Amino acid sequence: MSQNSIELRGVTRIYRRGGQDLRVLDELDLTMAGSTFYALMGPSGSGKTTLLNLVGGLDRADAGEVLVGGEDLTGLSDTELARWRADHVGFVFQGFNLLPVLTARENVELPLLLLPLGRRQRREQAERALEMVDLGDRMDHKPRELSGGQEQRVAIARAIATDPEVILADEPTGDLDRDTADAVLLLLQRLNRELGKTILMVTHDPQAAGYADRVIHLDKGKLGRIDDNRATAGRS
Amino acid sequence: MALVPLRYNLRSLWVRSSSTLLTVCAIGATVAVLAGMLSLQQGFVTLFAERGRTDIAVFLRKGATSEGESGLTREQCAILTKEVAEVQKGDGDRPLASAELFLAVRRKKADGGETNVSLRGVEPLTFAIHGDDVGIVEGRNFQPGSDELILGEGLRARFPDLRVGETMQINVVPFKIVGIFAAKGGYRSEVWGDLDRLGEALQRPVRSRVIARVPEGTDLAAIQTRFADDLRVQPKVLTEAEYLTSQTQRLSLTFGILGGFLAFIMGIAAVFTGTNAMLAAISSRTHEIGILKALGFRPFAIFLAFQFEALLLGLLGGVLGCLAVLPLQGVETGTMNQTFSEVTFAFRTTPAVMLNAVAFAAVLGLIGGAGPARRAAKMMPTTALRRG
Amino acid sequence: MPFRLLFRSLFRHPIRALLTVGSVAIAVFLICMLHAVVTGLARTVDAAASNRLLVQSAVSLFVDLPLAYQGKMAAVPGVEAICKWQWFGGRYEQDKGGFFAQFGIDPETFFASYPEITLQEGSLEEFQKNRSACIVGKDLAAQYGWQLGQTVPIAGTIFTRTDGRPWEFTIAGIYQTSTPTIDQQTLYFQFEYLRQSLETGGAVGPDGVGVYMLRVQRGADPVAIQAAVDALFANGPQRVQTTTEAEFNRQFVSMLGDVPLLMQMVGGAVLFAIFFAVLNTMIMTGRERTRDIGVLKALGFPNGTAGMLLLAESLLLCGLGATLGVLAGLLLEPAFQAAVGAMLPGFGFAGDTLLLGAILALGIGVVAGLVPAFRASRLTPVQALREVG
Repeated sequence: MSQNSIELRGVTRIYRRGGQDLRVLDELDLTMAGSTFYALMGPSGSGKTTLLNLVGGLDRADAGEVLVGGEDLTGLSDTELARWRADHVGFVFQGFNLLPVLTARENVELPLLLLPLGRRQRREQAERALEMVDLGDRMDHKPRELSGGQEQRVAIARAIATDPEVILADEPTGDLDRDTADAVLLLLQRLNRELGKTILMVTHDPQAAGYADRVIHLDKGKLGRIDDNRATAGRS
Repeated sequence: MALVPLRYNLRSLWVRSSSTLLTVCAIGATVAVLAGMLSLQQGFVTLFAERGRTDIAVFLRKGATSEGESGLTREQCAILTKEVAEVQKGDGDRPLASAELFLAVRRKKADGGETNVSLRGVEPLTFAIHGDDVGIVEGRNFQPGSDELILGEGLRARFPDLRVGETMQINVVPFKIVGIFAAKGGYRSEVWGDLDRLGEALQRPVRSRVIARVPEGTDLAAIQTRFADDLRVQPKVLTEAEYLTSQTQRLSLTFGILGGFLAFIMGIAAVFTGTNAMLAAISSRTHEIGILKALGFRPFAIFLAFQFEALLLGLLGGVLGCLAVLPLQGVETGTMNQTFSEVTFAFRTTPAVMLNAVAFAAVLGLIGGAGPARRAAKMMPTTALRRG
Repeated sequence: MPFRLLFRSLFRHPIRALLTVGSVAIAVFLICMLHAVVTGLARTVDAAASNRLLVQSAVSLFVDLPLAYQGKMAAVPGVEAICKWQWFGGRYEQDKGGFFAQFGIDPETFFASYPEITLQEGSLEEFQKNRSACIVGKDLAAQYGWQLGQTVPIAGTIFTRTDGRPWEFTIAGIYQTSTPTIDQQTLYFQFEYLRQSLETGGAVGPDGVGVYMLRVQRGADPVAIQAAVDALFANGPQRVQTTTEAEFNRQFVSMLGDVPLLMQMVGGAVLFAIFFAVLNTMIMTGRERTRDIGVLKALGFPNGTAGMLLLAESLLLCGLGATLGVLAGLLLEPAFQAAVGAMLPGFGFAGDTLLLGAILALGIGVVAGLVPAFRASRLTPVQALREVG
């Protein structure tokens, strides 16, 4: 099994709402290859974000196993999970979720605090990440002083700063206009192509999904079809 | 102008109930201190000043500010009791006037400390002068010329060892306690006995003051002027009410100043708390404010809405503060007054005290809310909506 | 722990942070003031000298002892010196509403018995030589701008002059004290001046002595002297009560009745109010940070980090407030001392007062910080990120 592949075996997640059990994910089996850009689509309530959270170690399955890069997340404690997240995954959220009191550089440096790095190394690594997203000139700006697209690029820089194998993105373009969204998606594509990151992106926008290598469809907690964009692209 | 429905504010306070509760508690504690001080002051003032009569004249030695400082010889007392024409006549055409001896004597407290108890030597006519204001409620009155004492009922709670049938040592003479009397004002915390017997026991030939019943509205200043050139005695004459007011002024003022000082300083802190709570409320409701504005509510309506919410916080705090001091209602406490004698008085949380306290709290709320409400009113609808 | 985040977050809402710091500062200031009053009372008792005994009437504070007692007490073995004290209770002609204490004393034994009191200006000889001379405390002199050699008119209330004029005392010295428990706001004049005025008919008033101070010889047993003096006059004409200086001071404190209790109640209310204020601020802060907490957790920070940040923030707010409050107290201390010094010479900020203020503030900081910190550490990242605002 490859260093950065993702595997779900019989994963079930149940939410209790108003006294009723809601099966958000129902015995889901899914294998995702490493260094591939996946888009996760499905109607609202199909379990997309839940799946993403499980893969990112933010949430726990009620049954089944989640393996990321060969590591079984099921057996890890909260502390071990946190530790694992710091080392292996980067998150990009719809609402960007930057800390408003910190500058772009400081936001990117934040996850690096968790790694055994010196102050200079941290700084260099953060700057490198920001340059990679073309924000080398906005490093000392606070989130409030940036545009939405720039904010999302800072968030992406933060996600790649620790050089994780897997990047998880939840509706990263949901709050952005078309052109800005395209730029962000191209950036994600580049990270996959040039750095070999495995990317799992939740989206409801077919155009955004078009940037991915493969598109997984979820419906009511069950796996639907999986489209291979590369195959289609090759054919046309 | 369309107003924001009050229900909106009530719901908002309810939704962030923990913050509301904490703010109300903080304001409540401040109000409780003010209400407590006012209650004490009220208890104190009621005890003395309101009980003073205007148809009783008090004669002190010129220059004295209290009966503790005053001193009149027997001869001077005789002149004042017999030669003042204005004094009303009682049975047998005798002027209703009597000399008194006042002394704060040492007394061990139940808890081991020491305090002063007011001892008053009186004459039979003293009771006639006070009329119905003084009456025996237990045992009997002392026999004139005997070594007997009666106790004011206010002393019972603080000195459990003083009871009818016990003796009380005055200097080297034992006096027998024969009765308990009820009285108005400060007299109820005093021990009374025969003037001459007490004077002898205390080795004090000098009297403290003379009191006399005079018709209401008598020109007491005229009496004082008449004696101004009299070589035998130059009294200071004032009504009992005036005298008692002058006696309570300093301590009453102390409570007022202390209460005011504490309320002022704590009030600043309470305003800070209120402002803080409202600022947080507004920043978490930026989006809602945007909607209200977009719907067409005028800035002033929004200002009023938030001021109303702050006012409610203050009022709730005021009510809580009053509730907090209510259990103290009637609790007796004691301290030294300016003649160094023990006075006992109770917390009296009167409606006026509560009204003052709640008004204070409302003002705190309004001051605390003004800044944040202004900020909410000035918010641009576009930014408010975007930042949500 | 990301410290930069801590300091940046602290002043994310500068007005709110300052208001919280301000209310903590006010609370600490008030509590320090109240505590200074209570400890001031205790200090007056504790600082009393052990070689001074005080003899007063056993009947009443306001009853004088006969002058003839002095000779009898001087004969008691172990009594080294006697100084008479008489409360004058006059009012300063120029400021009738104001109040300061005046005592008639014996200059010869007064200074020898009270080494804490020394003359800053003027001389003892001058004070002794001139019958109507007086010495005044330096704070009192400063308050009224009195100079050496100036005459101070005092209207008598207990002792009045037969010519109807005020008493006049000439300032022969200005004294200072080496201990804060003896005030610098009193006027002392010669007891002998008062006695002679009464004797010659120049004035009227009680002739006697309020309190006799007995200085105990080194090595003599104060308890034995107390018993001997009390026994001397057990059968009158005036029974006496001999106490140590500490006991004497304690009597006065005891007469204040419930005042210290009242102070403590007020202090409790202040503490209560401020605790809720800070708790409210911290809970609101914790709420607003929910998303940030989620981000920190998602990034892989351990569960406690967000909580520790909130706790540290609370401690910093309270610490800053405490510092400001204590500084304000120290700054205003002289003003308060001047205001209450005559009543309560022991008033002042001792180390334990400042410590108390600091400990209470930090205690509030810890508890108020723990509440949102606990919530933060229990939030799962998914919950935290889902919550809006």
